[in-house]
Amino acid sequence: MDQSTLIERLTQIVGPAGVFHRPSDLIVYEYDGSVDGAVETARPAAVTLPTTTEQVSAIVKLARQAGLPVVARGAGTGLSGGAVAQQGGIIIALTRMDKVLDIDPIDRTALVEPGVINLELSEATLPFGFFFAPDPSSQRACTIGGNVAENSGGPHCLKYGVTTNHILGLEVVLPDGRVAWVGGHAHGNAGYDLTAAMVGSEGLLGVVTKALVRLTPNPEATTVMLGAFATVEEASTAVTRIIGAGIIPAALEMMDALTIKAVEPQYHAGYPMDAGAALLVEIDGITEDVRSTEEEIERICRECGATMVRIATTKAERDLLWKGRKMALAAMGRLSPNYYLHDTVVPRTKLPATLARVGEISTEFRLDIANVFHAGDGNLHPLILFDRHKAGDVERVLGSSKEILNYCVEVGGALSGEHGIGTEKRDYITMVFTADDLAAMAGVKNAFDPTSYFNPDKFFPKGYMCGEVRALRAQAMAQKHGIYAF
Amino acid sequence: MASTPFSPAGLAPAIDGITPPDYFAPTDPKGIAEILAGAAEARKAVTPVGGATSLALGNVPERVDLAVSLRHISGIISYEPTDLTLSVWAGTTFGEVTHLLAPRGQSLPLDVPFPEQATIGGLIATGLAGPRRSGSPTFRDLLIGISAAHPSGTVTKAGGMVVKNVTGFDLMRVYLGSLGTLGVIVSANFKVLPFGRAEATVQGSYAELSLAVAAAERVRESRVRPVALEVSKTDSGWSLATRIEGRELTVKLLTDEIQTLLETHSEIIGSEESKSWWQQFTEAEAATTNDSDVVIRASARPRLGHELVASLARFVDEQAGIAEHLTWSPGLGSTTARISFKDSSAAQRFRKFRDQCMPVADNVTVLAAPSEWKSGIDVWGSTPATIDVMRALKEQFDPNRVLNPGRFAGGI
Repeated sequence: MDQSTLIERLTQIVGPAGVFHRPSDLIVYEYDGSVDGAVETARPAAVTLPTTTEQVSAIVKLARQAGLPVVARGAGTGLSGGAVAQQGGIIIALTRMDKVLDIDPIDRTALVEPGVINLELSEATLPFGFFFAPDPSSQRACTIGGNVAENSGGPHCLKYGVTTNHILGLEVVLPDGRVAWVGGHAHGNAGYDLTAAMVGSEGLLGVVTKALVRLTPNPEATTVMLGAFATVEEASTAVTRIIGAGIIPAALEMMDALTIKAVEPQYHAGYPMDAGAALLVEIDGITEDVRSTEEEIERICRECGATMVRIATTKAERDLLWKGRKMALAAMGRLSPNYYLHDTVVPRTKLPATLARVGEISTEFRLDIANVFHAGDGNLHPLILFDRHKAGDVERVLGSSKEILNYCVEVGGALSGEHGIGTEKRDYITMVFTADDLAAMAGVKNAFDPTSYFNPDKFFPKGYMCGEVRALRAQAMAQKHGIYAF
Repeated sequence: MASTPFSPAGLAPAIDGITPPDYFAPTDPKGIAEILAGAAEARKAVTPVGGATSLALGNVPERVDLAVSLRHISGIISYEPTDLTLSVWAGTTFGEVTHLLAPRGQSLPLDVPFPEQATIGGLIATGLAGPRRSGSPTFRDLLIGISAAHPSGTVTKAGGMVVKNVTGFDLMRVYLGSLGTLGVIVSANFKVLPFGRAEATVQGSYAELSLAVAAAERVRESRVRPVALEVSKTDSGWSLATRIEGRELTVKLLTDEIQTLLETHSEIIGSEESKSWWQQFTEAEAATTNDSDVVIRASARPRLGHELVASLARFVDEQAGIAEHLTWSPGLGSTTARISFKDSSAAQRFRKFRDQCMPVADNVTVLAAPSEWKSGIDVWGSTPATIDVMRALKEQFDPNRVLNPGRFAGGI
């Protein structure tokens, strides 16, 4: 199918306002939220903006007829290249399917289209007394569809879990264009848990056109506490003691000295400028419980050497303490023209050693690295500062990033806690998975999408999924690509 | 074969009346994979066996040529209390895990019938959840990593030992509840949780179902966040049981609040008694059967759940069954029942009962029933719309249909 026929046929499906195909319109869709240079970019043949499931289905069928790959896209805030059309083809941008279709306070569910913005869903359910728990830092922009694709986390997943724990069912367009529901309201669906397979599958299995999500009742009381410590080690000890005491806070976030220096002058969140680490603890629940837990946490922090403990109970005070954490990335502009936001995860108690290693890597590669992280679940976000226009900086960023990954895997961690693999880390996947492990995962891909129409060149090492790979019989394929690892 | 057969005394348990002619208990995961690969080559059907507490679950198998026991693949791989993580071999019993975690004030807060026999692998393969699923995490939420042996002769892993991880497809939850049809689970990793410092259960009794339903709604709308909430049929009417956990003072405070919300005669079941009360409750709905009882779970949208439980109670009466356990989980919409049907027409009346339930529920799963009663029906209920994808998944993992052929949904 030539380009003009393709555009004509797409226009028949979604109308002229629903198709972008001029180079100037396509440029923005070559990227996702990653820093330029860290993740490959690619230009799609066309971008479509459907408004109904039927249109999505028709686009998928057309793409198949034309032999073109399909890449689903939400707000494009992803950081692993998941929404970039690596092999060209058709991008299905779901941002115009942005309606909250139903909020049911008795069932405690919401039925939403994939383009609904994460924060807007919680705002819509607030009057009913509920919220949607996954809260990635991009929640003002990112979409539920994207959250499903990446199995997004956020600061509050320590207590409330990640996206997969909050998805009950999905309406999906499968690679043959068929529309099907997986999961649903009732908890007794027969067969394999395809909902779980879909969540976090990075757009490789299907295009989500509706999501039935679980809503969580708003807690009766919420308190945010800030503890300032001289060192990251002291703050980490406090975290260990808090968890050891049987407390699971709603969030447990830490920032290092460099982050505090970037954030405080700009946002005046009240973090002491001379602190080596700031620990943000949010607790929620029954009022009486929260009050006793507050006292317990304050005592633990002081025993661990906190130079200051502040307790915020009103919304304004809480928001101010959170502001510094939430704006940490934005504040990096004070320190450096560019930053690379890394995402890795280690067993929680390995955090202090991992941060020490990150410090060494910073020296070795002559790059400043600031650290903000989810201290409760071992999820690190080293912010590698650099200047894109300085020769060799991007290469050093990628080199240091790989070193950090190496260390995290060595201490029992994983490649990504919440950003996904995409193209960013696909060639590192053999650091954690053997050829056999990958073959099992390829089995899931093959069951849904045997000819690899959906989001090709993602997650699996480059070239791995070309053609049909028979799962668990993929050794020959793996050998061909030199995947032995292990 | 790298594994030792049991001595003649160690007879394999029967699966729906079929006693496997061969029974192996390999001592390592590779041994399981070798048996599976050998079976694939010889076109034999294999049934994995853990603690044999839920063998009644599933359709009557097409064939069982051999069984593999996980009893020699057991023990703790690692436990890091301050990381809140645990890794165990699949043959480890749930009881062993509980005893390991308890001294550190932690647990896997799950409802497990017969914990001293039930194994981690079996619990994951069957994927059943009890009353706690309404307000507390389930296996689905706590499973962070897994490894399984496949008929290709390989042992593969997914997930890891960190509590937050998006590295790779989520095979943990794909295997969960797949009844061993994609692979034999050999080890599993969990996020563990600190247990509540105190607990209590408040039970109110009602003459009418509608009154219990209204009370359940009041509890759900209050500030109380029960870990379990069940409306159950009793000899004299209906009861509402509310289980709460937390700090001692809070539990005390909330117990009083719940009693007020119940607006009826109620009793408080204190900490230790509460645990054993729910354990008994969980075992009443375990996937087990004698010659005359069935366990079913019917599900509906939560807002329609009270209609479903009312219909089921009526159908039990109409078919002259005896409801030994009939309970609805408000907020989840599912009704679970153990019903006994006696005398010569028992099987027909059970079939009639099931036929009556199907149209009023979204789905009806028969968790356990005498083998003869199950033949000819799909115990998993309605065939899912995506059965072709599920079959394709099975084809990818087990093309020769070695693992539990016919026992899973849609005859997979």
